[in-house]
This record gives sequence, structure tokens and C-alpha cells, in this order.
Amino acid sequence: MGKKSNIRNFCIIAHIDHGKSTLADRLMERTGQVSERDMEEQLLDSMDIERERGITIKLTPVRMYYKASDGAEYTFNLIDTPGHVDFTYEVSRSLAACEGAILIVDASQGVEAQTLANVYLALENNLEILPVINKIDLPSARPDEAKKEIEEVIGLDASQAPLVSAKEGIGIDDVLESIVKCFPAPDGNENAPLKALIFDSYYDNYKGVILFVRVKDGAIKAGDRIKTFRSDKIYDVVETGVFSPGLTPRTSLVAGEVGYIAASIKSIQDVAVGDTVTGAENAAAEPLPGYKKVQSVVFCGIYPLDGSKFGDLKEAILKLQLNDASLIFEPDSSVALGFGFRCGFLGLLHMEIIQERIEREFGLEIITTAPSVSYKVVKTDGEEIYVDNPSHLPPVSEIEHMEEPIVKADIYSPPDYLGQIMDLCREKRGTFLQMTYLDKSRVQLEYNLPLNEIIFDFFDSIKSRTRGYASFDYELIGYERSKLVKLDILLNGEVCDALSMIVHEDSAYTRGRILCENLKEAIPRQLFEVPVQAAIGGKIIARETVKAVRKDVLAKCYGGDITRKKKLLEKQKEGKKRMRSIGSVEVPSEVFMQILKTNKD
Amino acid sequence: MAGIYVHIPFCKSKCRYCDFASFPDKLCYAESYMACVYREMSKRRGELKSYKFNTLYIGGGTPSVIDGRYIAMLVAAARKNFDLTADAEITIEMNPGTVSAGKISTYKKCGINRFSVGLQTAVDSQLLELGRIHSLNDFLDCAKLLKGENFSVDVMIGLKNQTVYDIENTIDVAARSGASHISMYALSPEDGTPVYTDYLNGELPDGDEVAEQYGAGVKKLESLGFERYEVSNFCKKGKHSRHNLNYWERGEYIGFGVSASSHINNVRYTNTFDLDEYFKCILTDKFAVINSEAIDNEGQEEEFIMLALRCAAGLDLNKYFECFGEDFLKKYSAPLKKVREYVEVSEYCVKIKPEYLFVQNSIITEFLK
Repeated sequence: MGKKSNIRNFCIIAHIDHGKSTLADRLMERTGQVSERDMEEQLLDSMDIERERGITIKLTPVRMYYKASDGAEYTFNLIDTPGHVDFTYEVSRSLAACEGAILIVDASQGVEAQTLANVYLALENNLEILPVINKIDLPSARPDEAKKEIEEVIGLDASQAPLVSAKEGIGIDDVLESIVKCFPAPDGNENAPLKALIFDSYYDNYKGVILFVRVKDGAIKAGDRIKTFRSDKIYDVVETGVFSPGLTPRTSLVAGEVGYIAASIKSIQDVAVGDTVTGAENAAAEPLPGYKKVQSVVFCGIYPLDGSKFGDLKEAILKLQLNDASLIFEPDSSVALGFGFRCGFLGLLHMEIIQERIEREFGLEIITTAPSVSYKVVKTDGEEIYVDNPSHLPPVSEIEHMEEPIVKADIYSPPDYLGQIMDLCREKRGTFLQMTYLDKSRVQLEYNLPLNEIIFDFFDSIKSRTRGYASFDYELIGYERSKLVKLDILLNGEVCDALSMIVHEDSAYTRGRILCENLKEAIPRQLFEVPVQAAIGGKIIARETVKAVRKDVLAKCYGGDITRKKKLLEKQKEGKKRMRSIGSVEVPSEVFMQILKTNKD
Repeated sequence: MAGIYVHIPFCKSKCRYCDFASFPDKLCYAESYMACVYREMSKRRGELKSYKFNTLYIGGGTPSVIDGRYIAMLVAAARKNFDLTADAEITIEMNPGTVSAGKISTYKKCGINRFSVGLQTAVDSQLLELGRIHSLNDFLDCAKLLKGENFSVDVMIGLKNQTVYDIENTIDVAARSGASHISMYALSPEDGTPVYTDYLNGELPDGDEVAEQYGAGVKKLESLGFERYEVSNFCKKGKHSRHNLNYWERGEYIGFGVSASSHINNVRYTNTFDLDEYFKCILTDKFAVINSEAIDNEGQEEEFIMLALRCAAGLDLNKYFECFGEDFLKKYSAPLKKVREYVEVSEYCVKIKPEYLFVQNSIITEFLK
């Protein structure tokens, strides 16, 4: 066990794709944490989704031992951070557990918008920042320009920044040495009462809730009795340990260290990320400052495909929340879909990831409704309410006016694409604020945009219109009065609440028409004609018709092929089971995602 | 009562829609093949001793392509090995391009009393397009030879460039030729057949057009006195295909030859589709069965329902009770409620309304688990 002065706790900040996971892998490899043979590519991204998409979502801490040139052995605790704009919350959690942050900048692309946001977050947390220029092996690498950009844009001294290629393993030793020199050792008093910050947790089927902690003061070992500030429940510590990178038991954890605690905690609700662990008897007086709580910005309904699986869905969401404190949810019910949950997310990517994790990790098939933002509704009696579920909107007669959330978006792009970006922002009802030339190759555009316009496909649109060169970041700045209406979809004359959405009045007709057209394609033909209508406040604004099926019969059903014919019918039956009945209309689950499409395809 | 099916896997030339076991280039093996079929029959003799058979169906391929003597011997072998009733319905399938007065006389002499003739369409260009080896005239000649006999004609709908008029005309031709039974099938483009590429290229009429044709065909058939007793089968009074009805009533049957299927004692099994493999099995004194499945109670019930609802008469509630010991209306009250607009329920039976017979799958699947 290294002395406190020999510990370095740090995280890595990087734009997506700038090589964070690869650098982390190299550091582990070089410190002998993982042998090359066992090296699964991008070790820290342990979730399937993370590896497939090449992004980091979850924090995964790891401990390394490094013998520095000064002859001493150092203990490194690396806490990985997600790079996507949706996961600022996760980043703020890992920052609170560190003293330093490595800032990776791509030698050919320079500083990106999202990186900036996280750098400022790190600076706010008083973290020491070590810039590292990566991908110097690429022919397009411009390390000197990248350094200059770091100095100009962020105001950090980048003269000593290590030049590396994580992919080729170049400059890794330089990074390891710089970690020792640049980052401070943790402070904290080993003899003071225990104070440990919970920065993450997950549920283990055998050990119960596993808490990921950064011990700020005091020490903790198996047998200790602990509690958290949020609840008064007392737990007996069963095991403490570190990440190397799997859970590796250690007899104790002391101030300055990063590790985990297992204490047979069964109930998911009793421990919250951001809370402080302390001793049950010798309790600290004050908890550590919690994290900045981030608001959900995107909401959607999640329902089990098979209505009887509501209990399994609840279990799954509870377990995911333990692992991902930014996921919020409450029970909800829909006429069309039965019992389910209304969930809040940090952004669309976060939403997609949660949906995928429910399906993959828990093997549940789910139906999700269209994403929505939270609208402010001012009622005629003066009451103000927030509504994120279109079916909870009060009757029109009780609404005085509605307001929608507005974000300030910073878009960074080479000047060549300004036209395309400005077109897109205009289509999305944006208000231009200002434009700044950062240098001759980068422009910063500032816009105010309604959040509900960017939650759908704004990110993808901006990437495709600028061939991937532009990046984008946003923050909520408040609410603005807007002409919003509720768009209802009627199937065979009945309103399907799961397909309702709140849209701007100007785009309601277009959206209604496109939605009807898409639904017409997505709804299979039934034994009767199904009108698909879009309506605003009882007035029909668009209509399509799903014609009745006219031929649905097995040919030549005789002789021995009865078995085969029966299989065909059984297959048809299976397809039917994957549908939901909306009134008398049978609708496949994919239909509920049609609403996401803003174009006809 | 049970049925016997014999498969003759030979033909002159493969039709473009055919995905049955039929080998146009293997006609030289007909004699050895028939010898194996006779042998296969004698091997089943013992286990089927207690069975009474009232139908024998010789299908293919084109059974009429082989020498008439083999057919006569086949009927004799069936009689010798099994208890075939005196009034048994004995059917042979024929291609109008392969018949002669001599063959038909041989068939009649050996006891064949029902003929099934593949006309498909009365439009020569469409016959050519399908890869049929005969013309409309060949059919008319064949029908002349069958004058006074009990025969059925196969008619296809859903063909490339086929019009409703073509179908009505084909039905007219078939009816005037003296047929007592007409089967009207929609072409089903099976993967691997040449017509499948027509289908992929969008050259075949779509489901709506086929439904249109079917509706017109039904109307025409009914106007000519043909009653629909199954979704694709129509006959003059009392001229049902007893052999096929047995399939739809979940009756027992034994199949001989390549690809033939059997249903005996709630076990369904199928012979190999490979001619060489069939020879090898039979000559080494083994059966040629490639798969066999015991149908459990639930499966029996599902089959019963799916087959019964294909027929115009529908599902016989008493027979259901006899077979499964339960009240159908009670057990299936939920699905019955769901499809109430599409079925007729009486105290004796449940049947799909005539106008919904052609969209029966989605109704039938409601009754499956």
C-alpha cells in the first residue's frame, strides 16, 4: 500500500473518438496491469453497447502501479469518463473523485466543443489539467497547432504537453511521468472520522449493492459499521477493495484512495450516488458536497411489449438506476399500452442507451413512446405546471398559455459549413445570437433553440451537413412562451394516447401529414379498413387509410405438407403476439417509434 | 377409414412454378422406382392390417407420364397389401400432354374411377409461360377421352398477365368439358423456382388483384353449379374429393414413394425427397422416413381447427367434442369474441363467413396458442 503522497487520482477528458479508451488501455498495459495477451480491445468500455458504438457511457475505475524515474512506486487510480454531451452528469461525478484530469486533444482536429465543456467542469472542481496531444502518427497531425489552440482557447500552458500515439504506443512513458509530476497527491486526514464519496454503484447478485467510493478522510475496512447521510440504515462492511480492473479485495481503504465497498446492501433506494459514507459510531459531522444535480431533459414512456412483464421491467429499471443515477422514472399508464414507466433522461443518446440496456441486459422487449421535453403550462387559474407527457396536458380551455424549454447552443465549425448550419437552425426555429471567429479555421455560432427541436435528430443533422466537422454543445437557459398544440393520432376513430405529441403550431400540419403517411406504411393491413387520422383539438388535419387485407390464405393445403403449413400459421401467430391491440387495431411495437421520424422515407 | 397416397416423382418437363419432388430427367428409373414402391407397400402391410382404406390417390409429378402398366400394377399392389374397400375412390393425376386412349382405358380397367387433370389456364400463351407441356387443345382432347368419367380440373389464378376474363373463360372451358370438380389455386411463388424471380421483379399480380380474381372465379363457379366446399375446391353435388376431405378432417393416411407424407396414429412423417436416397433405403430393407413427429394433444387440436376452418362446412362442434372432450364454444370464447364479425356460429358448427374465406389465416391464428 503506497503512502498517500504516492497516490494520484485522475480522470481522462476527451472528445468522442479522440482516443481516450485507447490511451487508458496503453497506460494499463505499460504499468503491467493487464498483460498484452489478456488485453481485450478497449478494456474500460466493458458494456457491449460501449464497445459497439465506440463510446464510453459508464465510469469504470482502475488502479495501476507505476515505478517512476524518481525511484518511488506510485499508485494511480484512473476513473474513466464518458465523452458525450449527454453525460455531463457522469463526468461531474468522476471529477469529484479526482485531483487531476488528462485532457486528450487530437493532433489533427484540435479542441472540440464538448471537450471544452468538460474542461471547464474540471477547472470548476479545482482539478489540475494535463494536456496530451494524441494521434501524432496520423499524416494530418498538426501537434503545434493543437498546442496553440489549447493555449488560445482554454488558456492552459501546453508547452510541456506529451506528444503521443496511443494506438502505436508512442509517448506513453512521458504521460506516466507527467501524471506523477503534474497532479497533486490527495490530501485528507487518515485519523479523522470516515468520509467517503459514492461516485458510482451497481448491483451484484451475490454481494448486493457495490459502492464505488473515493475516501476523503479516515479509513474503512471489513467489519466496520457504516451508514450514509441520506438514510440512517446501518450496514456491516463485508469487503473492501480496489479496481485492477476487476474487483480485487484489499484489507482496507484509507484517505486518498479509490476503491469499492460491499456491505450487503440489498435495497437499491437506500444508497444514492453523490451521498457520503461515514462510520455508524464515529460519524463525521458534515457530508461532502454532493454533485451538481442535473435535470432530465428528455422524457419518454417505456412499456413492456408483453403487458404481464411489468414487474420485470420495474426490476430492470430499478437496477439500472442504481448504476445510473441520472435516470429518473415514475409509474405511468396508457390506455393503449397499459402499465409502464415515464422516464427522464439526460439526452437522446442516454435514452437510447437505457432502452438498449433494458433489452440486452434484462432480455425484456419494450415499447417506447416518442421522446418529449418538459413544457411549462400556465393555466387560466394562474397555476403553473410542468408537463412532459402529452396525455397529461390539461384541456385547451384551461390553458392560458404554454412555454417551452430553450437552450443556448454553441456550434463550432469550419467556416465552410456556416450556410448549412444556419439553414438547419432556421428550420429548427432557432434565434441567431452571435458568431465569433476563434481562428481562421474555426467559427463559433451561438443560437437559441427550442429544446424540442433538437432532441430528435439535430445532432445527426448537424454532423451530416458538415461532414462531421462541426460539434455542438448546449445548455438550458429557461422557458419561452410558444404556440404549442397537442397533436393526436386516431386509429380507426379512437385516439391512441401513446402516439400523441406536443408540437409547434406552425409545424403541426406537416408533422401530422408525415406521421399519418408513415403510420400507414407501418401498420399491417387488417380485416377491415383502418383510417389513420391526425387531429388537433378534435379537428382532423390529415388522414390516410390502411386498406383491408384481401388475401391471407395458405395455398394448396393438402397431402403431407400439413406440418409445414401449420408452422407457417404458427409463425404468423408469433408475429401477432408482438403486436399491441389499440382498440380493435393490431399494431406492431415499431409503430410507436414512427413518431420520431420527421421525414417521410 | 383411411387414405393411401402414392407419389410418382417423374414428369416430362418441370413447370416454372413447381417445387414438388419431380425429376424430368429420371424417367428411365420409373420401373425400378415402381418396384420400390410396391416393396415399400408390402413392408407397411403388417402394421396397417387393421386399417380400412377407402381412397387411393396417385399424385406427382405426372403419374400419367409413366407406362400405364405400372399404374395398373400399383393399384393391384395396393389391393393386395391393404384392405381397400370395393367402393374406394381411386384418383390419378394427369397432364393433358401425356395421355392417350390406351392409357385411360388401362386406368379404367384397373379400377381408377376419378381423374384429376391439370389445365391451369385456357390461354396458350400463359401455359407456355408456366412451362406446361400442353396446349388448350391437348386438354380438350383429354377431356373427350374422359367423357362420362368423374374428373376434376385444376385451374390457377395469379398468373403473369392473367385477366379476370381469362379466369372466367378457363372455368367455362373446364365446366363445359364435363368436369364434376374444379380446384382453383392461387399461384404461390416458392423460393428457388423460376416464377419466384417473376415475383421478385413484380411481374405477378399482387394480393389485391389475386383476391379480385378469386372473387370473380368463385362467382363464375357458383353460377355454373359448382359449390365451394373448401377455400380452393369446388364441385357438383356429391362430387367432393374424398381423399382430400380426409386430410382436412385430420383423417389417417399412408404415403408411399419419394416425399410422400403419412399420418397414422397421431404421428406425422415424411419420406425423403431424394430419389437415390429413397432407392437406397428401400433396397436395403429400411423405410425412407426423414422426419417424424408425434402430434401431442395441443397440436392435434390446432390441426383440427386450422383444417376444419378451411372448409365451407366449418368446424363440427360435436366432432370436436368427441375428439377433445371439451365444449369448443366455451374453451375458445375469447378468440370467438374477437373474430365474431367474421364467423358464423350455430349450435352445430363454427364457420368462416364465405366472404372471409380468402383471408382466413388471420382468423385461424386467433385460435392458435
